[in-house]
Formats: sequence, structure tokens, C-alpha cells
Amino acid sequence: MNALLPIAALFPLALFVLSALWPAWRPRVARLLWLAPLPALAAALFAIGGALALPGPLALALDFPGAMLLGAAGLIWMAAGIATLAFWGEKLETLPYQSWWLLTMTGSLAVFMASNLVTFYLAFSLVSLAGYGLVTRDGSARALRAGRVYFTLAVIGEAFLLTAFVLLAVGTPSGSIAIPDVVAALAASPLRDAALLFLLLGFGTKMGLVPLHVWMPPSYTAAPFPAAAVLSGAAVKAGVIGLARFLPFGTALSGWGEALAIIGFFSAFFGVAIGLTQRNPKAVLAYSSISQMGVIAAVAGMSLAGGRAAAPSELAFYALHHVFAKGGLFLALAAIAMTGPRHLRPILWPAVVVALGIAGLPLTGGALAKLAVKDALGDGLAGLLGSLSAAATTMLMLHFIVRARATAASDTSAEAPFAIRAAWWGAAAAALLLPWLLFPSVAGNLRKAVEAKSLFALAWPMLLGGAAFMGWSRLRHRPELPPGDVLVLMRPATTRFYRLADRIAGMEAWITTWPVAGTLLLLLAIGFAGAMLAAR
Amino acid sequence: MTAALMATTPGGLLLVLAVVVPVIGILALWLVRARDIEWVAIATLAVNLFLSLATLQAVRASDAPLVYLVGGWLPPLGLALRVDGIAAVLMAMTGAIVAVTALYARGQFGFDPQGPERRRPMVFWTMLLAITGALNLIFAGEDLFNLYVALELLTFAAVPLVSLDGSRDTLEAALRYLVFALAGSVLYLLGVAVIYGAYGTLDLVVLSEIRGAEGALLLAIALMTAGLIAKTALFPLHLWLPPAHAGAPAAASAILSALVVKGSFFLILRLWFDLLPPGLGTIGANGLGLLGAGAVIVGSVLALRQARLKLLVAYSTVAQIGYLFLIFPLATGSEAASPFASLAWTGGVLQLLAHAFAKAAMFMAAGLVYEAIGHDRIDGFRGLGRLAPITVLTMTLAGLSLMGLPPSGGFSAKWLMLSASLGEGAWWWAVVILAGGLLAAGYVFRILMPAFSTPDAPAERLHPVALTRELAALSLAVIAILIGFLPLSPWPLLAIGRLIQVSP
Repeated sequence: MNALLPIAALFPLALFVLSALWPAWRPRVARLLWLAPLPALAAALFAIGGALALPGPLALALDFPGAMLLGAAGLIWMAAGIATLAFWGEKLETLPYQSWWLLTMTGSLAVFMASNLVTFYLAFSLVSLAGYGLVTRDGSARALRAGRVYFTLAVIGEAFLLTAFVLLAVGTPSGSIAIPDVVAALAASPLRDAALLFLLLGFGTKMGLVPLHVWMPPSYTAAPFPAAAVLSGAAVKAGVIGLARFLPFGTALSGWGEALAIIGFFSAFFGVAIGLTQRNPKAVLAYSSISQMGVIAAVAGMSLAGGRAAAPSELAFYALHHVFAKGGLFLALAAIAMTGPRHLRPILWPAVVVALGIAGLPLTGGALAKLAVKDALGDGLAGLLGSLSAAATTMLMLHFIVRARATAASDTSAEAPFAIRAAWWGAAAAALLLPWLLFPSVAGNLRKAVEAKSLFALAWPMLLGGAAFMGWSRLRHRPELPPGDVLVLMRPATTRFYRLADRIAGMEAWITTWPVAGTLLLLLAIGFAGAMLAAR
Repeated sequence: MTAALMATTPGGLLLVLAVVVPVIGILALWLVRARDIEWVAIATLAVNLFLSLATLQAVRASDAPLVYLVGGWLPPLGLALRVDGIAAVLMAMTGAIVAVTALYARGQFGFDPQGPERRRPMVFWTMLLAITGALNLIFAGEDLFNLYVALELLTFAAVPLVSLDGSRDTLEAALRYLVFALAGSVLYLLGVAVIYGAYGTLDLVVLSEIRGAEGALLLAIALMTAGLIAKTALFPLHLWLPPAHAGAPAAASAILSALVVKGSFFLILRLWFDLLPPGLGTIGANGLGLLGAGAVIVGSVLALRQARLKLLVAYSTVAQIGYLFLIFPLATGSEAASPFASLAWTGGVLQLLAHAFAKAAMFMAAGLVYEAIGHDRIDGFRGLGRLAPITVLTMTLAGLSLMGLPPSGGFSAKWLMLSASLGEGAWWWAVVILAGGLLAAGYVFRILMPAFSTPDAPAERLHPVALTRELAALSLAVIAILIGFLPLSPWPLLAIGRLIQVSP
């Protein structure tokens, strides 16, 4: 079954090559696009525990947390693939649409199977950089602007990650670059703190932790619905699997754990606060992602502080629900935008349930996700903050429903194509039901999910959040912020960079004049002679 | 010891052939009909490629350098040719790139009896063979004056390539290159004279045994280094490189950027690691690293600002040359048994290889773009992917290596050099490497994104381009990627035959 791993990673890539080399195949590839994640689903089911070395520095392996996310990502890629055929129609038969879709998918799926540093970095870079093509798919000026921010943050995040990986490799005495080996050596490495810092910066950028979140709202707002669905559902999870794989949960690292938890909770509340000021439902969902990734970071931080070895599975489980919920809601937005009031109900009501599921609505898959990380947060301050973040998320999700409803088509009898509705319903069903299947292998007995104590723990934050939303929506003057909030503050930084570049270019022009270059040549000769003679 | 190091080894004849075959090829060019020039040159370069690969194989198999004593005389009386591990690798690289460039250039300088300029094919192919021979001599040479001759041959063969189209601008650029390279030569020659005066020999092997920390030696190395830096176009002495590329034909640019500047760089490596007494180079090595860092930043920033693809790629060369000079502080600062066993040594050589292949591919692609759409202004690249898919694929692969994304030679080089600097605690070099990577991502992005996007109005392809030429460029980019599959650890091959086995 090991052979499934490379097939899962390379099948979308093979489709891309097919489409790139033989234009005649493009219509067929377009129709098969939704099947591209099929080998990944097979691998998630049948290849758990498999490992395989590929040529050169590449190697794949699949553990249980990876398999959960691989399966979930595969399914949301599939659902979005079904929707996208109806959404883009003939455009999907052209190479740009297919190539960006398939390349992003390749990276997005491979990252869950990468078992050494180089493979992980490759997959991570692929999903991040190819994602640019999805963000800018509609080619508008706004999309290109968002794409520039996306790309800049993506390469900065990769530079962080590369630094972290090199530090991990250097700190591993055996010289191995396998992820389990470098993580095992991390606790004793003299470079531990630097490595952890850059790991968190790298993955934090991908997950959109504040203040590295600035790319996420503009990108999701600019991206077409199916693209936003896979970016928010699947691609972002590259950061989550990174935290799950690379943080040394076996050993308690208290300082780092608490720091990550603080950043995570800050993002969780910050995302909600800014999300409430957004009018575009896509931006609301983006801020909800920032908030949810903050919760994941907080859980990871508390697990790290407590030396909780089960953390990878719990994080992956929480993220699995988010894959379907967030990816699904973007598909729901696509359906809502094409549907008039008459047919809206069967689309909107599942959206209400799934959206509130993110806040932990009892008996939904989201409730199970909250329960799975409950132990990691504990009963103290972190537990309370977790519940309050659920209350805040309730507010944000109610706001989302209101905003989403306002985007329904004006033609009363309009109805979205069946493929888009079906993709949404499929994702919604997965969000609500799949966690029930997996909960026993992650967090134990399902009875925990239905006992009164758990139901109460889930319900009171929601009631609180609901009440708060009532109060909020009565306010006359609610603030509105542009998507990307502090991005505005960064504009001076770009101008400063250009000014600096101008100055460097001016200096270069001066240096490359004859008299200056000639003088420099002589000075260098003298300088080197002096340096060596002085060292004697 | 001299005797042991200096006896003709089996296979030593390969070195003589590697130097002589291109010369025979040049002579043959004068004897054949104009329309056959191309084929004679290509055949010569094919033989040269075979010889260089055989040399590499011989060095690997015997785990020792190949040596040939010319006329059987031992230095300092006679001349020795000697190819160690790193020289064999660079020789093979040169053989491969020159051969592929020849395939790419086929037809470009083809004989046109009605054309106004009939010397062009002759000049191009002669100079290409001369550069090949000169580089082989630089890699195999042991005698500093012999190396000077090779270096001059290299410069004089490269200059006409810059001004092949004979326009005013290119002549000016060629003159700029020539004069500055000559200034470098003068400094180099001065150093040679100082060494000869002090030691009475110019053979590097002999010198490495008899020299101490004399002031004359240090002065000479300093002079020669400065001269060679000028020829390598290391910042801030890169004034000749961008203009030289602006008007040169794509094939010539590929050779110039990928190979010619590497010849003088190789000599700096030899001076600092084979001749300089251990322990004396620390400050100077950091100085070279600092210049390299300046090159990385300034070159990349300027590349970001260029409007024309060719100049962008040229400034990218300025930046990528900078990485090479980080070898000096990193390899001398390493705690490995010798600098040649360090991560930085292998990382630097990988950078040299990856850059050579990727950059040659990039320049060839730039030439193909020019032919396809009639200009190389980046803001006019929309829809290029549809017009010239293979060329855009070439630029993508080469760009990935320049940015340092895995798997590619550029990534492996970056990984090893980052490991070296962070492992040594010299994080400031790591900052430079990472900043350079970010800026490189920026300029590669600038080229590729418009090329991938769909045009507002479908553009027309001006000229059909031969598929073989597109594939030639692509093959070099693929090699740049494949280098990334070599092991990410120091290669024993690169330590074969180094003269000093302890850290300088």
C-alpha cells in the first residue's frame, strides 16, 4: 500500500503535465478535475503507517494525524472540484485554470505526507506559491493587489521556514533530515530557541496568526468562491500539520507553549473583533479563519506547555472539522450568490448549522472538535478563554449569516447549478458527520459528546455569544474596516522599500562610473594586502 | 612530496587533449567551407565534452588528481597540468554547457552568403572554442604564468562575443569590458612578478610547499585577488557586466555569465585555499564575504528594477556571483577537518554549478523570447506562456533554481550554505542568503507572473523557433533542477587533490 503515497502526491501533478503537454486533453481534464484527489483519499484510508523513500532527498510517510488531514483535504478539493466545473464552465478547459488548481492541490496534499525537511519544504512552497494563481484567478486589479500581498507574505513565510529547517538540521547530530529525528533532537539542541521561533513564524504566516495574517482577508475576498474554498479549507492546513509535526509535544516546553497560546488566543479574539466590522461575507469568513487558526495555535501552545503527546491527533481532528466547515461555507456563498429568495432555504439553513458548528453547536461535528481539544486547554484560564472564544465565534457566525443572506441573487427564482449545491451539501454533511466517525480514535468514548456536562459546557458560550450579537446588531454606528486591517499601516513600509531601492540604484550608478570603479579596484588590492599583512 | 604529487598519472593525457582539442578545432575552422564551420565546431565540442567527462570519471575512480608533466620535466623546470576533484567537476560543467550552447547557437550565426556581415559565424565559433580551451587550461593549469596566459585568452575570446553585432552600444560595452579586464590582468601579472621574484618558481604545488608567511606572498595574493575580482565582476567591480550582456547575443551571454566569470573565480579559490598559508586569511575572507553580501543585495535590488529581461538576468548574475564569495568566510570559519570537507565548500561549488546551468538556460530563454515576440520588455510578457510554452517552462525551472526552491541545485546550495553559516553561529551570512532569496523570488515572480497570465489581446508569434533550440535551453534548466537530487552533504570528490589539508 506504500505505493499509494507517491501516487496520491503525483496524480494531480500528472494531470497537470497531461494538460500542459496535450491541449486536446484539456476538456477531459476539466471534467476529471474533481477526481484528482481520489488517490489521496485511498491513501488516507489504506496507507496509514506507510513510508516510502523517493529519489534524491524526497521521502513520504503517512501517520494518523496526517491521514485525517489528507482525507479531509482530499474531500474538500473534490467538492470544490465539482463546484468549480459548474462555476467556471468552459474557462476550466484552459491551462491557467487547470495548472494552478492542480499544482496547488499537489502541494496541499503532499504536505500531509512529507516525512523529511526537504519534502515538507517543497510541498509547503508549492501550495503557497501556486496558491497565488488561485487568489488572482479573476485577474482584476483588486485580485492582483491581493495577490502581491499574498505572494510577499508567502515567500517571507518560506524564508522563516527554511531558516527553521536548517536550524533543525544543524541541531541534529546524526545528520538525518527525517522529521521525527530532527524533532527528537530539538529539545537538546543548542539552537532550540531559534529553531522554535522560526518554526512558529513560518507556520504562523501560513495559518494567519496576528500580525502575520494580513494576506488572508484580501486574498480570500479576491479569490473566486471555489478557490477560496480550497485555500481556506485545505491549503491553510499546511500550517496546522506543521505545528502538529514539528513542535516537540513529548517534552514540556513551558515558556514557548505559553507564548504560543497567548498569540493564539489573541488571534482568536482579534479575528472575531475585526471580522464583525466586515461587510463582505468572504472577508467575514477569512477573519473567522484567523480566529479559528488562533484557537488551534492556542491548543498547540497549551499542549506544548503541558507535554501532551496526543496533541498532533487532537490538532488534526480540530482542523479536520475546519476543513469542511470553512471550505463548505465558501461553497455555500457561491450557491447563495446564484440563488434567489425562493430557493434559498435549503442552502441557507445548512449554512446556519455548519457556521454555528464552528462555534461548537452541540451534537454537530464542530462540537466534537471543541470537545477533543478541551483537555488540552484544561479547566483554568485557558479553558475559560477557549469558551469565550466560542462565544465570540458565535457572534461572528451570526454576523456571517446575516451578511451572507444579503448577497443572495435578486432574481427570485434563480437557482445555483446542482453541482454547486451538491458540493456544498456534501461538505456540510462531512462537517457535521465525519467527526462522529473519527472521534473515538482521537478522544475516546462518544458518550462524552452527549452527556449533560459537555452539552452545558458547549451551550453557555453560544447563548452568551447570541446575546452579545443581539446587542451588537442594535448598535447604530458599527465600525467598518477594510479587509486586511493593519495592511494599511504597511503601505508606508513599501514606499520606504522603493525609496531605499532608489537609493541603492543611485549608489550603484555612482560606483559603476570609471573613476570610482578604478579607485575601488586599487583600494581593494591595498585593503587585502593590509588585511593579510596585519593577520601575520 | 613533490615527486609523489608530480608524476604523470594514467589518464594524464586526457588533460593535454582537453587543452589541445579546442585549439585543433579552431585551426580546422579555417580549413573548411563556411557552411561547415558549425559542424566542425559542434563536433569539436562533442569531443571536448567526452574528454571532460572522462577526466571527471578518472579522478573519481582513482580518488586522486590527474597529472601530466609536459615533456616529462618536473616543475619548477617543466610545466605540469593537474586536475583535482573540483577542477574536474568544473571542467565537466564547462564541457556540458558549451556543447549545449553550441546546439542552441546552431543556425543563429549560420552562414548567409547574401548577408551583410559574413565574419559573424567565424568569430562566434572561433571564440566559443577558444573560451573552451582557455577554461580547460585554467582548470588544469598549475603554473601561475601559464594561468595568466589562459586568463588572457579567456578575456580576449570573451570580448568579441559581446560586440558580435557590431553596433555602437555593444562596441562601447566590449571596450569597457576589455579595459577593465586589462586593469585586472595588470594587477594579476604584478602579483605573478612579485611571487617569481621572491620564490623563483610559479608552480602552485611547489609554491605551496616552500612558501611561508612572507610579506611578498601576501602582497602578491592581494594584488592578484583584486585583479581577479575585477574579472569576476564581483560587486563593486561589476561595472562591465550588465552593459556587456545588454547587447550580446543570447548564446554569448549564456557563456559569459555561466562560464567566463567562473574561470577567474576558480583562480581566486586556488589562491586562497591552495596558496595562502593557513590562518592568515580570516580577515580577508570576511572582506570577500562582505563584498559578496553587497553583491547579493545590490544585484538583486537592481534586478528587481530592470525593465528588460536580459538586464534583469544580468543583474541576477551580479547577485549570484555574490553567493560564491560567501565560501571564503564560511569555509575558513568551519570546524570541519579541512575547509574542503566543510558544508560551505560543497555548498559553494553547488551554487557555482546550479547558477551556471540555470543562468545559461535563462539567457537562452531570454534570447528565444526576444525572437518570439520581438522584444524582451517584461511588461509586454502577458500571454507568453501560450506563445512559447517550452521557453516559459525553461524560465520557470531555471527561476526555481535561482530562487532556491527544492528540488533544485539552487536549493541544495542555499541549504548547505545556510547550514554552514547557522552551524558556525555566523548568522549574518544567513541573513544575506535569505534576503537574497526573497529578492530573487521577487524578480523571478516579476518575469513569470505576466508570462503565465492570459493576454488581453492574443499576441502573435513573430518567428518560429527551432524546437531543438528550445530543447537545448530546457535541458540546461532540467540539469539545474537535477543537481538538487545529489546528496545534501559534503562531497568527498570536491576534496580530492587539495594542496593544504588544514584550515587556513
